[in-house]
Amino acid sequence: MDHTQELTEVSLLSLCQRAVKDGNQVLHVFPDHRSVRVVLWRKGEGEITEIDVGPGPHARPSERGFPSLRFVEEQDFGCEALEPAAAEREVIGEGMHVVPLGPVRADVAEALRYEMDVLGDEIHALTLRRGYKRRGVARLMQGAEVGAALEIAERVTGTSTVAHALAFSLAVEDALGLAVGESTSVLRSALAELERLHSHLGDLASLAAATGTVVAAADLYRLRETVLRFGKEWTGHRYLRGVVSPGGWRRGIRDTSRELPSFVEEVERQFVAVRRSLDRTNSFLDRLHGAGGIPSKSLELVGVVGRSAGCNEDVRWDLPYAWYPDLCYGRRPAGWTTGDAYGRYFVRCEEITQSIAMLRRAGGCGAASSPPPLDFGNGLGYGLVESPRGRLFYRVAVGGGRVETCQIRTASSINWVAVPLAVANHNILQDFPIIDASFSLAVASLDL
Amino acid sequence: MFYPRWIVNLAKGPSVLRRRAGSRPAKTGVPARLFSRSLAIRHLDAGSCNGCESEIGLLGSPVYDLSRFGFSFTPSPRHADLLLITGVVTDAMVPVIRATYDAMPNPKLVVATGDCAVDGCVFRGAPGVVGNLAEIVPVDAWVPGCPPSPDDLLDGLLSLVGRGATAGEVG
Repeated sequence: MDHTQELTEVSLLSLCQRAVKDGNQVLHVFPDHRSVRVVLWRKGEGEITEIDVGPGPHARPSERGFPSLRFVEEQDFGCEALEPAAAEREVIGEGMHVVPLGPVRADVAEALRYEMDVLGDEIHALTLRRGYKRRGVARLMQGAEVGAALEIAERVTGTSTVAHALAFSLAVEDALGLAVGESTSVLRSALAELERLHSHLGDLASLAAATGTVVAAADLYRLRETVLRFGKEWTGHRYLRGVVSPGGWRRGIRDTSRELPSFVEEVERQFVAVRRSLDRTNSFLDRLHGAGGIPSKSLELVGVVGRSAGCNEDVRWDLPYAWYPDLCYGRRPAGWTTGDAYGRYFVRCEEITQSIAMLRRAGGCGAASSPPPLDFGNGLGYGLVESPRGRLFYRVAVGGGRVETCQIRTASSINWVAVPLAVANHNILQDFPIIDASFSLAVASLDL
Repeated sequence: MFYPRWIVNLAKGPSVLRRRAGSRPAKTGVPARLFSRSLAIRHLDAGSCNGCESEIGLLGSPVYDLSRFGFSFTPSPRHADLLLITGVVTDAMVPVIRATYDAMPNPKLVVATGDCAVDGCVFRGAPGVVGNLAEIVPVDAWVPGCPPSPDDLLDGLLSLVGRGATAGEVG
């Protein structure tokens, strides 16, 4: 390793750790020309600050700089191994063998390679190889018109379309000093919650399928399909795509103020019945308790994964955007402490109930109209939202109607670090599909 | 009951092999109707946004119930009749697609799923994106959509094997 590179990495790491100790959140670390910039956010305060930490000519700090995150480059496939620390990873011994899985694996799954070091049935280490589906999102956005960049942002992760569009829109609005009206804010929150609803229902369905509880899986998949169909009726797209835009709406959407409350009520009634039956099924619960526990509390995890392991953070409460100051009033983020598969199941269930309650409160959503023509100036803005999988950060520099630079930090790219640690934590091979389903992280958000 | 049926079937031959008037073989020369009653599908993600995976995953739900057509997903390319490819086709996935295709037994079909696999969608021209699946493996059918709904997917698959509303037109 190059001496300069090592120095930069170490100093960057200690800087990030110091910032976290001081009560800050490291939102992103990225190279800007020949220097490295760190974006910090003090929880509970609205302001996001950015510091320049000097040149880092060889390091790739956007990935290497994060505490407890390290990438080792692999030459052959152009893919990289993601592992917590090289020293922990070396597993040697009689009877030890590697079980390779991927990038083509399971029935329907995203491209990622798992290499599990196994002795008998127990998994002792897991190496993840990533980089199979890099689409060059940041490079593609550079210089693109705001409308075109928004379309790319919506396709970073298909199941978090609204979250990405909203984070991008908030960043552009922040950069240009735009404000949106109350009805737009209410509708944005409602769409984001509907997205969380279908995403969590899908995650729970795949968890139920992984544990062999096929009746519950069938019920949850069916329920998810009804939510997607409602989204199609409401916005014209099953995944609510092509609606949210900087300054307002890209196209008008239907007035659903009459159907929405009764629809969510029916979804809640059916979901409560499925959850009750799952909570009484020992063969389901026994597979979750203690499986895939996250061993270290020092990991800065976000979203459902973080909240299930005692990191009680949720952007909707910490830095409320859109209509969340009102929707979150009198509620607390769902949380659990064990950090195992049951914790993630519990938090998802609670959040579904919470999303339904928020949708009901948002109720009375009127129809939306198209946005006013934007007067594009120059500026730099930040967008921070809670996507279904956790905190999503956008940093967008706009100039003359075009995106100059765009940096994205997704929840999955932070949380994937916990997967090798959780899988290699006294679990056996048969637990792997359950742990994988309980995390439900997107590979598309890891390989941007 | 079994033996009389067996003898009749032997005498008539498998009905799906007899080509009806109007149906055409696939572009690649594979008689897609071979698979009209039983199709093992291997999915391959070549750089998607996970929207297509989400919709493909719903095919197994009771709403669409893929298995009622005799279709199923298989974990191994060795057991697969059809390769269902999603995503923009990244450079890193090119050797993987070739290896998976080669591992499948003949005859075999390939379906490009979603706008990304059809023409790259918004990612056309991005660094590290090939964008054109037909350059790598012969493609029998295209199912456009961003993402294609489970209805579109079912219609595409059924049409390909000669059972859909547009039977004989696709492929």
